[in-house]
Amino acid sequence: MTDVRCETARELIPDLVGGRLGAAEASRVAAHLETCADCRAEAELVQLLYVARPQVPESVTGRVLAAVRADAPHGRRPWWGLAAAAVAVLALGIGVASRSGRDTETVVPGFVAQGTSTTGAWVSDNGMVAGAPALDGLSDEALQALLEELESNGTGGSA
Amino acid sequence: MKTDASGEAITDAELVRRGREGDEIALGELVDRHQAAAFRVALSLVGDGDLAQDVVQDAFLRAFRGLRGFRGDATFRTWLLTITANTARGALRRQGRRREARLEAAGPVPAEDMDPHESVAVGEAAERARALLQELPEKQRLAVQLRIDEGLSFREIGDIIGSSEGAARVNYFHGIHRLREWME
Repeated sequence: MTDVRCETARELIPDLVGGRLGAAEASRVAAHLETCADCRAEAELVQLLYVARPQVPESVTGRVLAAVRADAPHGRRPWWGLAAAAVAVLALGIGVASRSGRDTETVVPGFVAQGTSTTGAWVSDNGMVAGAPALDGLSDEALQALLEELESNGTGGSA
Repeated sequence: MKTDASGEAITDAELVRRGREGDEIALGELVDRHQAAAFRVALSLVGDGDLAQDVVQDAFLRAFRGLRGFRGDATFRTWLLTITANTARGALRRQGRRREARLEAAGPVPAEDMDPHESVAVGEAAERARALLQELPEKQRLAVQLRIDEGLSFREIGDIIGSSEGAARVNYFHGIHRLREWME
């Protein structure tokens, strides 16, 4: 059986806890946890977070499906519908142009965005930007160094 | 889970293809598969169960209306959760308020073979951990939540929180590190 390093184990702990690993990989990670107190402590925290994850209210399904059915037919629209949509898009474009820089919008991968864009900053609850702009500017090497520094600060390696 | 004639689970990509053609059953299956993740993302951002349900409904409608614009270079799940996060932020902006601390987490599910006293202790610790999660900055909170609750890869998480895969990984481990400190 191949031993699992702390770095690998810590990445896979959420999948182990969520039952998303295959049997062989799960047993390798579990074997590591038996010998590594630090990773075991992390697994216990992840387990606590996982078991207390919010459950979706039963009413959501019905609400969403009813709204989907009530919504306009997807795709096929009459020519006048397309014309009205084009006018609306033009009006929106004029509105956006006149408001440039005042609104926010985040780009959705794989999706044609509807709206405007500015900083996309993710402001944390305490009013500080939540680390992302600084992190996003770092190279892969710098990010790796930051990870290693994190791991060396208070969370040691294998027992 | 919906399966095809050979008993294989139908992929999201196939459901999306059918949904583009107006197949309501396919759209319903997509709702069934992804509503829980969408609800948790919405709840984490808006902090209110009723508003989170509104956000989920709106996000699905926006996603389904935009199916023709969905290029498929992200998974449907990643795409939907990104729309959900944007919709949640929009809802907060419209209401002119910040995320409230009030969260309606479901009660923890104790292991069946645990004795009652131990079960209560674990339940309390789980609730505390979940409450502390809400104190993390938004990117760290979403990175931890999406990795643990939904099993997303760091690449998918990066797409949703608007950062690189490496930054998503760092946000996750920053968040876990802080939570471990706070739980001690």
